[in-house]
Amino acid sequence: METISFLLQGFAVALTPEHLMFAALGAMLGTLIGALPGLGPANGVAILIPLAFSLGLSPAASLIMLTSVYAGAMYGGRISSILLNIPGDEPAMMTCLDGYPMAMKGKAAEALAVSAIASFIGSLLATVGLIILAPILARFALHFGPAEYFALFALAFATLGGITGKNPVKTIVAAALGLMIATVGVDISTGNQRYTYNILELYEGIDFIIAIVGLFAVSELLFFIEKHVGEGLTAAKLNKLNLKMKDIVEILPTSLRGSVLGFISGVLPGAGASLGSFISYTLEKRMVGSKGNFGEGDPRGVAAPEAGNNAAANGALVPMLTLGVPGSGTTAVLLAMLISLNIQPGPMLFTQNAELVWGVIAALLVGNLMLLLLNIPMIGVFVKLLSIPPKYLMPVVTLVAAVGIYSISNSALDLYFMVGFGLMGYLLRKLDVPLVPVILGMLLGPEMELNLRHALTISDGDWTALFSSGLSIGIWIVALAGLLLPYVFGPILRRRMERARDRLEVPEEGD
Amino acid sequence: MIGDRILGILLLLLAVVYGWEASQFPVPFGGAEEVGPETFPLMLSVVLGLSSIYMIVKPDPDQEWPGVKTLLDLGFVLLVLMIFSAMLAPVGFVISTTLMVGVLCWRMGARPMAAGLTGIGSAVVVYVLFNFVLELHLPAGILELS
Repeated sequence: METISFLLQGFAVALTPEHLMFAALGAMLGTLIGALPGLGPANGVAILIPLAFSLGLSPAASLIMLTSVYAGAMYGGRISSILLNIPGDEPAMMTCLDGYPMAMKGKAAEALAVSAIASFIGSLLATVGLIILAPILARFALHFGPAEYFALFALAFATLGGITGKNPVKTIVAAALGLMIATVGVDISTGNQRYTYNILELYEGIDFIIAIVGLFAVSELLFFIEKHVGEGLTAAKLNKLNLKMKDIVEILPTSLRGSVLGFISGVLPGAGASLGSFISYTLEKRMVGSKGNFGEGDPRGVAAPEAGNNAAANGALVPMLTLGVPGSGTTAVLLAMLISLNIQPGPMLFTQNAELVWGVIAALLVGNLMLLLLNIPMIGVFVKLLSIPPKYLMPVVTLVAAVGIYSISNSALDLYFMVGFGLMGYLLRKLDVPLVPVILGMLLGPEMELNLRHALTISDGDWTALFSSGLSIGIWIVALAGLLLPYVFGPILRRRMERARDRLEVPEEGD
Repeated sequence: MIGDRILGILLLLLAVVYGWEASQFPVPFGGAEEVGPETFPLMLSVVLGLSSIYMIVKPDPDQEWPGVKTLLDLGFVLLVLMIFSAMLAPVGFVISTTLMVGVLCWRMGARPMAAGLTGIGSAVVVYVLFNFVLELHLPAGILELS
C-alpha cells in the first residue's frame, strides 16, 4: 500500500507539464539515437549527460529526460535490426532473426509495430516488477555492512562479463584499469595526493563522463574510419501498416512470457539483456514448435526477443537503484548520471530521495506509453534517418560529444583527455578487452575503496573481516561463480548464439 | 597472440610502477594507520599484475589489425581532434569546428565540397543553438564582434 502512495507521488512529479515535455523530448532524442547507425543506447546517454548538466536542469528533470532517452534508444535500436538486418547493439541481435525476414516479405511496418507493442509490454511489466521488487531488495540491503558492500562491488565486476563473456581475465584487467584511474586525485579520507604529479587539473580526479564519451563515442569514430564504412545503407522498403487486432492478440502470450524471462535475467547479476532476449526467443521457439515458422518471419519471433530485451533493460535497474551496482553498460551510464547529479544509489535512495526515485519510475511508465504512441505514426521519419551516411553523421556526432565535454569546465585539457580515452578505447576493443568494466571501475572505485577502508578500520586491519559474515561469504561465492562459470557454460551458450546467427545469414546470401 | 602479449607486458609494467608509487606515498597527516591511502592501490597493482602475467602466458588469438595506410588515417584523425581541442578557445568555435568536421567528413569519404558544407553548416547551427537558444557560451575567438 505504501508503495502505491509513493508511486502516486511519483506520478505527481512525472506528470507536471515541464517534466512531460522533457520526457517527450528524451523519448524522441532516444529513438533517434537508437535508430542512427553507430550510436548505441549507452553512447547516446553518455553524450547527453554533460549537456543536461550544463543546461542547469533540475535533478528530476534531467533524470526523467535521460531515462526517457534510455527507453527511447531501446526502441530505436530495433529499427535497424528489422530494416537493415544490423543489430544496433548486442541484445537487438535476436530481433534480426525474424524481423528482417518479415521486412523482406514486405511486412516491415507490421514487424516494427509488433516489436513496438512487445517492447511496450516488456517495459511495462518490468517496471511493475521493479516497483514490487526494488523496495524489498532495498530493505534487505540495509543489513549490508562495509564488508558486504566490498564483496558486492567485487561481484559486480566478476559478473559483468556475463555468462556469455569470452575471457574473464580481460574483464578483470579492464576493471583494474578503471579502478586505477579512479584513484587519481586527492584521497578523500586523508587528503594525500595520489598520482597527480602536481598537475592542478588532476587534483579532483578524472571525470568519468570524459572517459565514457572518449571510450565509446571517439573509439566508435575510429572504428568507422578503420572499416571504411562511409556510405549509407539502403533499408528495406516500408509498406503501409496493416495490423489487425487478431495479430496483436496472437503475440500477447509470447510477449508476456518474454517479459517475465527478460525481467528475471535483467535482475540477476551477469545475465543481462543479451541473454534475456536469447532465452525468450529460444524458449518461445521450442514452445511453439513446428507450428510456427520461426526464422522465416514469424511475428512471434519478433515479439519474444523484443519483450525480453526491454524487460531485461528495465530489470537491470533493480540492482542499479537499490544496490548501486549496475549490470550492463547502459545501466552503468545511468549510474554515472546519478552520481554526477550527486545522488548515490543504494538502499538509502528509496528513503532519502523517495520523490526522485518514484518520479523516475513513473517517468519510465509515462515514457513508454509516449514511445508507443510516438512510434507508430512517426516510424517513417525514423526510417529516413537510417539512410544518413555515416561519413556525415559520425563527424557531427563527435562534434556534439566534444561540445558536451567542453561545456563541463571550458577546458581544452578535458578534450585532450577525451581524445586520449578514444585511442585507449580503440586499442582495448581491438584486443577484446571490454570497456564497460573500465567505466564501472571509475564509477565504483571511490565507494569500493571507502568500504574496504571502513571494513578494515572496524576490524583493526584484520583482512579476514572481509569474509566474516555469512552474507559476505555468500556474495563472494556468487562472485567466484560468476567468474568461473563462463569457462564452463560460456563456450556452449556462445556457440548456440553463433548458430542462431549463422542460420540467419544463410537466407541472406540466397537473395 | 602478439597483441595480447604486448598489452600484457605494458600492463605488467604499469602495475609495477603504479604499485611502487603507491608504496612511496608520504605518511598521511596524523600518522600511519592499518589502512592508508596506499592499501587499495597496492591491492589493484597485485590484481593487475597477476592478470597481465596470465595474459602473457595464455594470450588469445589475435584480431586483424589494419594496414599501415589505415593506421596513418587513424593517427591523422586523432591529430585533427587534438588540433581542434587546441584551437577551440583561441581561434573560436565556428572556424575550428568547420575545419574539424570538414576534414573528418572528407577522410571518411565525402567529396571536399560536401564535406566543407557539412562542416560550416554544423558549426553555425551548433553555435547558434548553444549561444542563443541554450545560453551556453562557446568561444567566439577571432570572429568576436567587439
